[in-house]
Parts: sequence; C-alpha cells; structure tokens
Amino acid sequence: MAFMIPLVSFMASCTFDEVIDPNGPSVDGVLKNASKGQLNELVVGIESTSRNGMGTEALANGTMARELYLFNAEPRYTGDMLGKDGLTLDNNSFYSTGSWNGNYRCIKNVSLLLEAVTNTDAVTEAEMNGYLGFAKTMMAEELIQILKSYGKARLDVSDPDNLGPIVEFDEGMARVRSLLDEGQQHLSNAGNSFVFNLSTGFDGFDTPATFSEFNRALAGVAAVYAGEGEAALTALSNSYFDLTGDLEIGPKHIFGLGGGDQSNPVFRVPSTVDKPNNGDQIIVHNTWLADAENGDTRVAEKTALRPNPTTQDDLSGTHEALLYESDTSPIDFLRNEELILVYAEANILANNLQDAEDALNVIRNSASLPDYTGAQTVEALTTELLKQRRYSLWAENHRMFDLRRYGLSNTLPIDRAGDQVFNIMPIPLPENN
Amino acid sequence: MKMKQSFLKSVFFITFSAIPFLLAAQGGVTGNVTEASEGLPLPGVNVVVKGTMTGTTTDFDGNFDINVGSFPATLVFSSLGYANTEVRVTGVTNLNVSMEESATGLEEVVVTGLASSVKRENLANAVATVSADELVGTTSQSTVDGALYGKIPGVNITSTSGAPGGGFALRLRGISSINGNNQPLIIVDGVYYNNVEIPSGLRFASGANRGNEENSGNRLADLDPNDIQNIEVLKGSSAAAIYGQRGNAGVVIITTKRGKTGKTKISFSQDVGMNKIANRLGIRPWTADKVETVFNAAERAKFEATIAENGELYDFEDIIYGDTGFITETRLSATGGNDKTKFYLGGSYRDEGGIIKNTGFDRFSLRTNIDHRISDVFDFTSTTSYSRSNASRSFTGNENDGGLSYGYTLAFTRPWVNLFPDANGNYPVNPNYSGNPIFVRDKALNDDSNDRLVQGITLNTNILNTDKDRIKIVTSGGLDYLANQTYVYVPETHQAQVQPGPGGFISVGKNNFTQLNTQLIGVWNREAMEGDLDLTTQVGTAYLYQKSNLVNSRGSLLAAGQTSVDQSVNQVIDQFRSEEKDFGYFGQVEGNYKDQIIATVGYRVDKSTRNGDPNKFYGFPKASLALNMANFDFWTMESVSQLKLRAAYGETGSPANYGSTFTSLGANNIGGNIGQSVVGSKGDALVKPETASELEFGFDVGIFNNKLSLEATYYDKKVKDLILTRALPSSSGFTQETTNLGDLKNSGVELALKAFVFDNENFKWNSAVQWYRNRSEVTRLEVPAFPQPGAGFGLGLGTFFIQEGQSATQLVGNLNLDGTGTKPTKVGDVEPDFQMAWSNNFTFFRQLDFSFLFQWKNGGENLNLSTYLSDLGQVTPDLDTPEGQARLASTANAVRFVEPAGYLRLREAAIHYSLSQNTVENLFGSTVEGVKFGLSGKNLFTITDYSSYDPEVSVNGGSGLSTGIEVGPFPSARQFFFSLNVNF
Repeated sequence: MAFMIPLVSFMASCTFDEVIDPNGPSVDGVLKNASKGQLNELVVGIESTSRNGMGTEALANGTMARELYLFNAEPRYTGDMLGKDGLTLDNNSFYSTGSWNGNYRCIKNVSLLLEAVTNTDAVTEAEMNGYLGFAKTMMAEELIQILKSYGKARLDVSDPDNLGPIVEFDEGMARVRSLLDEGQQHLSNAGNSFVFNLSTGFDGFDTPATFSEFNRALAGVAAVYAGEGEAALTALSNSYFDLTGDLEIGPKHIFGLGGGDQSNPVFRVPSTVDKPNNGDQIIVHNTWLADAENGDTRVAEKTALRPNPTTQDDLSGTHEALLYESDTSPIDFLRNEELILVYAEANILANNLQDAEDALNVIRNSASLPDYTGAQTVEALTTELLKQRRYSLWAENHRMFDLRRYGLSNTLPIDRAGDQVFNIMPIPLPENN
Repeated sequence: MKMKQSFLKSVFFITFSAIPFLLAAQGGVTGNVTEASEGLPLPGVNVVVKGTMTGTTTDFDGNFDINVGSFPATLVFSSLGYANTEVRVTGVTNLNVSMEESATGLEEVVVTGLASSVKRENLANAVATVSADELVGTTSQSTVDGALYGKIPGVNITSTSGAPGGGFALRLRGISSINGNNQPLIIVDGVYYNNVEIPSGLRFASGANRGNEENSGNRLADLDPNDIQNIEVLKGSSAAAIYGQRGNAGVVIITTKRGKTGKTKISFSQDVGMNKIANRLGIRPWTADKVETVFNAAERAKFEATIAENGELYDFEDIIYGDTGFITETRLSATGGNDKTKFYLGGSYRDEGGIIKNTGFDRFSLRTNIDHRISDVFDFTSTTSYSRSNASRSFTGNENDGGLSYGYTLAFTRPWVNLFPDANGNYPVNPNYSGNPIFVRDKALNDDSNDRLVQGITLNTNILNTDKDRIKIVTSGGLDYLANQTYVYVPETHQAQVQPGPGGFISVGKNNFTQLNTQLIGVWNREAMEGDLDLTTQVGTAYLYQKSNLVNSRGSLLAAGQTSVDQSVNQVIDQFRSEEKDFGYFGQVEGNYKDQIIATVGYRVDKSTRNGDPNKFYGFPKASLALNMANFDFWTMESVSQLKLRAAYGETGSPANYGSTFTSLGANNIGGNIGQSVVGSKGDALVKPETASELEFGFDVGIFNNKLSLEATYYDKKVKDLILTRALPSSSGFTQETTNLGDLKNSGVELALKAFVFDNENFKWNSAVQWYRNRSEVTRLEVPAFPQPGAGFGLGLGTFFIQEGQSATQLVGNLNLDGTGTKPTKVGDVEPDFQMAWSNNFTFFRQLDFSFLFQWKNGGENLNLSTYLSDLGQVTPDLDTPEGQARLASTANAVRFVEPAGYLRLREAAIHYSLSQNTVENLFGSTVEGVKFGLSGKNLFTITDYSSYDPEVSVNGGSGLSTGIEVGPFPSARQFFFSLNVNF
C-alpha cells in the first residue's frame, strides 16, 4: 500500500514534461548547430545506406533481364518478374519498392547532411566543401541507380511535404551530371583531406583529390548514359580509368555482419556434392551459358556447375552464381573493368571506332578470349560492347538497363509459354498518391 | 471490484440496519437460509422487511434473526448470484428459506463506474458477464481469452496460433483502430493488465518480415482462468466511457475469487488430458507415373526406392503435427474467513504438450486475495498473484528461406525423402527445401518464460454514514511487473545455417514491463425523496504509468554445439525503451428512482504522453437511461416480469502508439564506424488520440418470472481521427508516417436469449442462444486508399486495404476481373456475416451434468497462402482433382487465395458426475464434502469449407487488424480431458 502514497500526492499537481525519444537522436536535432561528430555520423549513414536496395537491383532486375533466376521461397521471382501467365509487375511489392525506398533513404541522409553542414559553425569552409562534395557525389550515384531501374526519378526531395515532380530519364540524368559537376567543384576546394572517415571500401579514394576521381568516373558513366561520348571521355580522363591497369580498381561497398551493418545481399551459399543448396539460390539463366564464347573464363569465374540440376515453377538451370566468396565480400561501386567498357562505349558514340575496339579487346583478352574479329562498324561494335558488358557485369544490375537503352529488350528469350518481358520497374504506388 | 462492492454493501447493511432494529422490538422472526441445489447454508444473505429500512444478514451458518415492526410483513432475501426470494410472514415465526441460483443474473451487480456498480436489472448497457462456471465449468482452459468463445455476444475471437499457450485476437464490436490497438483493455482486480505480444527475434533467423510474424503468444496467458470469479465485458464506448482514453477497444474487467465467511473450504482439482491435431490435410495420392509427370525420372527413382524400402511414403504431416500432447493441471484452493477478514488462496500448475514434439506450455500460478475490515471506517482488499509461464512454440508462420517454419518445409518436402537421422544422429539435408523439419523439431528452440507479479490494493475510507448520506474515499492502486525472456536457438548444423551461411543463430531477449496505476475516488450515496431516489456521485483522478525495456541480443556463427549468445562471432544487440504516463479526472452521477428510472451522466478528461501535446486534456462524456417498465405501478402483465428499455451514449479514446510523435535517426554502421540514418518512419508531433463515440440502445424482456429472457441491443460506434500509418512517397526518405487520417464506424446487433426450459428436482435444462453481427465502414479517409502495411503481402497476393466507403476489414488484390485493367479489387472480407452460439446444460437427478457449446461463424473470408506454397511444392493433397489442377493453373493472385472461412464448431462439451452426499459420506466420512468427476473436450468437431487446418488463423498475430491471413500456421488442436474435483 505504501507505494501509492507518493503517487497520490503526485496526482494533485501533474504536468508532463516534453517527451523525448529515448531510442535515438531526433532528425530536427542534427539540422541546427550540428557538431562535427554528428555530421560525420551522417557521412557514415550515407555510405552505409548507399548499400540499400543492391540485392533487389541485382536479383530482380537480373531476373527480368534473363540473367538469372532466384529460386527461393518468394514466388514472385518466378512469377511476376517473368510475367508468368499474364502476371504483371506490381507497383507495391518488394521488388518495385525495395530499391526505390533504399536509394531514397540514402538520398534523404544526403539531404540532411547538406542542410546540417550549412547550418552549423562547427566546420571551416574547406571542411564544408569536403562534406558537400562527398554528399553531392553520393546523391548522383544513387540517382543513377534509380534511373537505371525505373527510367524516371524524383529530383527535388529535400522537403518531405513539398516534393518536386517525377521527371523523365533525360532530365534526371542531366541533374545527375550537374550534381557531379558541383560535387567536383566542392572537392577541388576541400583541401588535402576530409575531416570524416570513410570505410576501407574507399581506400585510395578517401581524400578530396582521389574521391574526385570517383566523382569523374561517375560523370563518365552518366555522360555515356546521356549519349555524350566526348563528355564521357573528358570525364574519364580525370578518373581512375586505366586501360592497362588492374580491372578491379575502384571504390567498393563493404559488408559486415555486426549490428547496424549489412551483409552482401547477392551472396548465396554454394552447393557442394553432399550439400546442394536447393533452398535459396541464384540460378544462372541457361542462355547466358549457351551464348558465351568458347573459353570465356568469366563463365567459370562467376558461376559453378551444380551437383544436381534444379527446377522450380517450370524453370530449370544447371549452374548457380559464384560471384562472391562470402556474405562479407565487397561489391564494387564502379571498377576499372566497367570504366574500360564505358570508355569503349564513349568512343563508339564519338565514332573513334578503333579506340573502342582496342578497349573491347582489353576486356576480351582479360577473359582469355582472342581479339575481336568482327566488322568495325558502330552497329557491330555496339553489339560486341553489349556482349562484353553482359559477361563482365553479369548480375550487377546492368543488363536490363543496357537492353532498354538500346531498344533490345524484345530480344530476350521466353522460357515458358505465356511469359512476358518487362524491362522497367513500375514507380512505387505511394509516389502516385 | 464487483465482489468488493457486495462486501461493502453488507457492511453498510449491518451498520445501518442495526440501528433501527435495536430500537424496534415488535416481533422477531428467526430462520435459516440455504441454497437450493445442495442444501448448504448461505451466509451473508441480506434480509430486509419490504418497504422499510429494517434489515439484517445471515451468519456463517445461514441463520438470521430480524425484528419486524408490524405484521403482516414481507421479508425479502437477496444475495449475489441468487434470485431474490420474498416470504410473507404474519407473525413471530421460524422460517426455512431456500434460495435458487439466479436464473437470469438480474440480481448480480455490474460495475458501471470506477467505484460503483448497479444491479444488472437496472443496467443501461448490454454488459456481458461470464461467470467462473461458464468460463471453466465445462472444460479445462489454458488461457482466459481462449475460454471466451461463444460466451459473449459481440465478440470476435481468433486464435492466432495453435501452439499451447495460445495467441488470441479479441475484437469487441468490430475493430476500433486500423493501426493502433484493437485488443481490449484488461483490468484484473483494478490492475491494468499488460496483454503484450512480445517478439523473440526469430525473424532474424527465419527471414520473417516483422515481429508480429514470429507467432508469439499474448500475455493474458499468464492469468490462470481458474482463479477468476467473473468477467465483465464493456463492449463499446457507451459502457467503457469511464475508462476514457484507454477504452476504445472495450474493457474486460476480470475479478478474481474472494474469500467467503464461514467454514474454510478446500478444493482440489486434477485434470488430465491431451492435445491432438484437429484436422489433417492428408497426403497427395502419388503413383510412380505421377511423380515422373510432375517432376522427372530421377524423382521417380527416389519414389520407387522409398516404396521398395518402406512400403509406403513418409507422411510428414503426421511426423511433425501428429504428436499427442499430454495435459495435466493440478489446482488447490482454500477460502474462508470471519466477519473481519476473508481470504482466497489458490495455486495451480498446468503443463500442456503440443501436437508438435518438443512444444508446450506450462504455468505455475499462486494467488492470495484478502479482504479485511479494519474498522467501520477503514477496510481494504489486497490481491496478489505471481505466475511463471513457459512456452516452447517451435517454428511456424511466415518466413523467407530460414528453413525453419514447418508450414514452408512441409509445403515443399516430397514424401519419398527420408529426413530421419542416421544411427550417428546425422540429419540428412532436405533436397527440396532449405531445412529439414525433423531436425528443426528436434534441435532448434523457440522458448519464452515469463515471471509476473500482479498486485492490486483498494482502501476504502468511510467518512460519513448517516441515514441519507454515505461518503467514502476509495484509494486503489495496481502494479503489474512482467519479466519476459525469449530464447531462440538454431544450431550451426541447420541446413540453412551451415557455413558459409550464417553459421547458427541465437537470440536472447530480456524484456521488462512495469505498469502502475492509481485512482483516488470520492463516492457519495444519497437517498433522496424519502428513499425513492438513490443518487450516487463519484469524482476522482486516475494515473497510469507504463515502462518497458526490451533488449535483444543475437549472435550468429556459433561455436560447435554452444548455446550461449557470447559463443558467436557476429553479435547484434537491439534495445527499445518506452515510458508513458496518462492522467485524468472523472466524475459521474447515477440516479435510481424506485428501480423504475435509472439515469447516469458522467465525464472524464484525460491526457497522455503518447499524444502530440502531452498536457492537453481530451474529454469523454457519457449518459445513459434505463426504464424498467415492469416496475412501474401501471404494469399489470404478470407473465412479463421484466421489460426494460435502455439507451446509452459514451465516448472513449485511444492514444497514438508509443513513438508516433518522434521522427528519429537510427544507428547503423559500416566498416566499424557508427552512423546515423533516417529510419523510414516520420512522426507527427501534433498527433491526437483516436476517439470513439457510441450510441447503444435496446430492450430486455423477461417472462414467466424471467425463466425466459431476451436481451436485444443495437449499437452504432463511430471512431474518428483514426491514427493510420500511411505509405509516404518514399522519395521523401520516409516510407511511412503515422497520423490522424480517417474515421470509421461499426454498427451491429446483439441478441441473447436465455431459457430455463426445465427446472425441477430431477431434471434441469438451461439453454442460451446468442446471435450477433457487426458491420464496419471507413467513412473518411484523407489519403487515397492504401494497402495496410504489415497486414498481408501486398496487392499482388492480397492485403487489407483501407478505402473510404468500404469495410475496414476487406481483402483486396490487384486484379483485372472485368477486363478494364488491373486495379485494387475486393475479393473478400474477414468480418463474419454473423456469429451465433448455442449453449446447453442438462442436470439429471442433481448429480449428472451434461453440457455443450456450439459456435457458428457464418461468412467471412480468409486469404490462404499456405495452399499456394504447397501448390508450388506440388504436394497439396487435392492436386489430382480437377479443382486442384484448375487452381494450380490459375494465376497467383488474391482471387485464387481467398476462401470462405465460416465454420460451425462444437467448442466445448462435457459430462460430469457428482457423487451423492450419502456416497461421499460412506466413502470418505465427514472430511470430504463433495466429489465430482467427468469427461470433457474442446474443439471436438468443426464443419467448414475452409481447405486448410483451421479457418481461425492470423499470420500477423493478434494486435492489428490482420487476422484471417494464413501462411503456414501452427495447426489447431482438439483437446480431451478427464477431470476430478474434490471439496473438503
């Protein structure tokens, strides 16, 4: 009974204090007078959330582009995404919302950093430029992913109550390019080092000067996607693109298994003879194997023959994915191998066909294939380019977009009578509201 | 609280009636009162000379002595639970009065204020009361909510899991919230009782989408149903208004057993029973040819090898769900007391095995309830209970590639695959799915344990007692402390975990919940108009404090065979804390004019830290009127003993879910650096509570001395400012926001008919029929229609869909039925068309009892995604029928999955035999008072068109509006019991 006595007296005069979330800092709290520590936490948040949506981008877009099947408990991978029996893509399912939500979560963190860093006295001008250059480059990187999956993007998103319109691809890519240019400007005024730490995934790209090379690499990609070969070549010349260099060079998304971290979403447990993984596995589309040139070492590097063939929902395959060694293996943002292909594409666009062919040969040779012997025409080299991209960048969210931008999606195979090809994700339902 | 009141009344009666009766000495009547069924003496019966204030109560042996002013006079005998009896006396005499148990319950008192009650006869609301006998008298019950089926008009109960220890969703008069709480407020002896559903973190191993897919039970399971004296259910806002902003989903007021003055009684009970799967789906009739057609030649070879070796296929349904779970329950209680102190002591232990091996539920419960009168001024009641309950629930429900949930493994596992361990204990890899269900059953754990202390205390201070005025102060408080622990263990040798997979998984949850509530109430009773008008006025304050701290530690990549979370490489810790406070004032005036006109008005204001403005008060008025036509002087129809017209209006509220006001950042990291990111949900710093207003009216008729009674009620309940989670354009960085966005209404009809068909020495037959229906409609929605997050699996497979002008519980999928394009299209509604219950109780020769309870849910649909999974796995039993083939060939959308979910179920049936007094005396002498034993069962049979295990199902637990969606549930069980009860 005694425990009631203080409460009875309390009840006589009862005013509740303002309620504060005990479980996390408030958004409004970082927007004004943020400390350097708070800004740096947002930087880490941006790098961390730039991994959002990568699984969907690789696996759903890869399924739609007939690079692979995902055989698991989720029936929509073999249903909706392949347009089985009249099924269509749903604008409110995980595959259509996942990468959009994930990428825009990262962009929101970028917006918070952009606002926070301009509303604090805790940083010098050069430090502020470092934050801004990093933030704008990362925002552009995320917007590229959105445009590849959805063909459209919403650009003005900093005020959640007053969002800008969803724009078409060209306008979106123009914004990507201007963001990258602004970012480069900031980086060039950011001094010799950042005041924030990036993860080891950015080793070699973690100063304003070297991060700027990543910025320019993205600018090259964006220029090619905008159809501007010369601009792409200019951008690449200021990046870490190296025709004779290590193909693997470039910043990486790294993964971990601790709390708040993310694991590699494209890794699946490899099958062994005693323990074939039949539960959740990325199965290689048969045509990717069948269409490979004899001796292309990328096939054996990226995939493995399963101990047993597998079938689900009337689809079957003999090989499974072997892209990553473990669930903490890194995934590239943009490696030199892709830059060489971007360089080749830029040269095709700019009509420097010999340079394009030379670049493609670098890729072919790296896969133990002999030099290209086909015609040196824009059309033939474009076909070869798309083929090399298909094998070099398999299951890395390129094929669907490549076929779409070249108008070739209708060339994809139909595995089951009644299947359909979709080459673009529907904009998530809540965006239309 | 109800018993408290009757106790108080007795006290008042003794105090008041003693004075006049000492002064007058015209003539004494003495006598003895017994109860009719067993002839035992009845203590505490009020005896009043009709039309006067003269009265007394019977002593422990049922004896009374009363002075009557002038003869002839009529003595009125009344006691809780018994029909009033009137005896006309013409002179000094000695009477033997036998009181029948109340036929209709009209005399029982029902709580209508926070410190007052009225006789049911005078009640203006349809308040349902469930007695101890109705609750647990027929068969053994493991949880309170699971024992209420068919016993309350207007309730919709859905079992969310067949696991022992339950998981139940209780809905009173439809849903009252889309996104917030729909489980009623539960008050046990004045203590706000936590009915939380606590997630275990197993989703991090199974890949389930959210905590509510983890198949946890709700914590009402910690309360032993056998301790309960009665349950009152305030179904709507008009009855629950005095509970203010916690009353929106209705209030369930539970009163536990109290001591009775008189000889100390000891009661011992033992139940022995079993759980068996209620409904088997069976196995697809395979032939070698069919195996080859469906799969391929290699599978045919495996099939033939298995047939050659075993002569039959493996029936995995039987292997996993076919266990017999043994149930034992032992109870011992003692009650007794004198005129100052009364006590009830109860202890019980229930141990229940499930239909899946290694699953089960056990509960140890201790209770001490004490009523003590300190003086004429002070008395108090203390209720104390401690319970410890443990459950092993194994793995069912939704998952994504965890290889754990049996619903998934069995849907894909082909019956010619041997999954039993070899002689060395090595379990084979399941070639058809990511887990071996026999391994999971034997080696993986999903356990929880709950230590719970609930203490209630009420102190009454009678500060004024005059002929006309009585004033008392009621100070009450309650404490509910729950320490919950969850433990999930998936060995590193589990197929989906084997390295380089996650390498095993452990999740340890330590969750504490503390609730504290206090009330301070002044109650003033006044008799006005020379006793014709009774006025009861109360004013008070109420305070509620709730605090929780949930810590979940998880580890993966385990050391071989180790079961502690620190024996892991990758460790994650989550913590969630909450603290909330409510404070309110209330006042209420009840007036009763000669039991003819009974009117109540009241008002409560509440504030809560869960609202946007924690210091803003919200008001909740109430008013009600009951007219007892049969009590008016003009009433002459003798056969109609009661005709009451009643109407009630009231408002209640429900504050926003904890955290709705916050827009916060969440921690994340990469490469060992700590980072902050928006978490996706945007709060509303101005959020208001949801508020409901309800108008209820109806009539009660009793004829032939209430041998036949009908209670009819119509209600119309409007909920406004619904707090909804709506999807935001996620390009804003936020995927959802929670704010006040809509209104809905529920309207319905409830009918309850009771009949005492036969009532004589050798044969009694009571029968009761209930019929009720509810219809909901979303009447305002400020945003376009949207699929409710976390209640379904998107418009592709089917989901709950919030849409203006439509039922709040409709099921919708993206379909193109009319050929005009794909759009969200309604395929069903989980709300039943109506529900009905029919209970019967027969007593032969006072010794043999036979009772049964049928429950019928008519209409309502479910989305059955379990069959979709087994169709994908090609193992659905009916796949060789034309219907099965047609289904298999049809598009995977909501039309394919929706199924009618109505059913008729024999919910309870029992036959009990009591040894006669003579036999008991011959066998045991005078130490034993009574022996009763019998057989009973629960869920004995079900008639339904639903194709899966049980039309009662919810993959998303019990709290939201998500009941009726099925993905691999824990199948329901049928229970049988032998019971023995001995009273000393």
